[in-house]
Amino acid sequence: MAYFSELIQLKLRSRLNSPQAIDDVRQETFARVFVALRGEGGIRQPERLGAFVNSICNNVLLEHYRASSRHSSLEDEEDKDFPATNVDIFGAVVAKQMEGKVREILEELSEKDRRLLREVFLEERDKDDVCRDFGVDRDYLRVLLHRAKQSFKSLYLKSMEARPPGVAAAGKL
Amino acid sequence: MDHNQAVREKATERYLLNELDPGVRDQFEEHLFDCQDCALDLRAAAMFVEQSKVVLSEKPEAVPARVHVAVPAPSGWFGWMRPAFAAPVLALLLVVIGYQGVTNARLHRAANTPRVLPLATINLDVRGSEPVPVQAHGEHGFVLSLNVPPKRAYSSYKLDLYSAQGTLEWSDSIPATAEDSLSVVVPEIDHEPGTLVVSGITEAGKSDDLGRHPIELQSQK
Repeated sequence: MAYFSELIQLKLRSRLNSPQAIDDVRQETFARVFVALRGEGGIRQPERLGAFVNSICNNVLLEHYRASSRHSSLEDEEDKDFPATNVDIFGAVVAKQMEGKVREILEELSEKDRRLLREVFLEERDKDDVCRDFGVDRDYLRVLLHRAKQSFKSLYLKSMEARPPGVAAAGKL
Repeated sequence: MDHNQAVREKATERYLLNELDPGVRDQFEEHLFDCQDCALDLRAAAMFVEQSKVVLSEKPEAVPARVHVAVPAPSGWFGWMRPAFAAPVLALLLVVIGYQGVTNARLHRAANTPRVLPLATINLDVRGSEPVPVQAHGEHGFVLSLNVPPKRAYSSYKLDLYSAQGTLEWSDSIPATAEDSLSVVVPEIDHEPGTLVVSGITEAGKSDDLGRHPIELQSQK
């Protein structure tokens, strides 16, 4: 559940602005998946559980869009920060480790690359503008992110292996 | 979308950067929920981005740059102790100390090395205009020996050495003693010595001219 929960979170955050809406869609998705799994027929292809969860999520999301268009939504006015709802002590320790690793990776970058990431992810400037300002193309940004991710991945893997079953990833996604 | 295509096209990075067209994005998501490798890849990248926001949102000093990080200079009396200033000063001090060590050693050796200086003897009780010969010796000057008259009328003697051009090159006072002869080292002077003027200083401070003695520099053979 934690595995799909993170994927759904990642999927929905580019489509929904409100953390509450994301949580609603996620919970509704899981509710329907559990109903399907407990049903008489279960799911036909267990090896395609992921695709099944994704399709259920798509359906719930569509219904959410329809419902939102009928009712005035306050999503845009809500806080866009995602509160860490289920991070436990273990998760907090791992999050600290991850932050340390990310800090280390960022320190290894040049000042230019660090500023580039800052303006794209933190300041959320238009990526084309940022790339133009820094004299790089979009592929440079992809490769920069790719390399940073590769450096970070080994620690992330370890944390995934060490965390107790059912515990969501540390930090917030 | 299959795994190879997702890797080849850097779909994870494009997805996080919102660069995928809606159709391709849906295809990637469909693959994502079935591919543990891509799911792990995306989760790791997303976590990196989120943690980066935390780190990058801190003050610039928190992420030391390789190139240069401006360190606020300590103010007040201890401002000079900041590395940018103290390091060159320390280096300069080391050079000075080293130089002094070498120089002092050289001076110490020179002071303790026996040296023979030319001697010029002047009889104060003889008022003559005969030049006093001095052997030219280069850098160490010469020794002036004064044969004082037996009448002890002066408490000290003042010596003024003028160059041949008439400029005062050296001056000194030596106290009178019970000895008949007083010696003083005349250091090297810039110009060729010309005349030594000797004055006797009484207890009352009165000065008497005791004579002008031409000094003649002779080449050392």
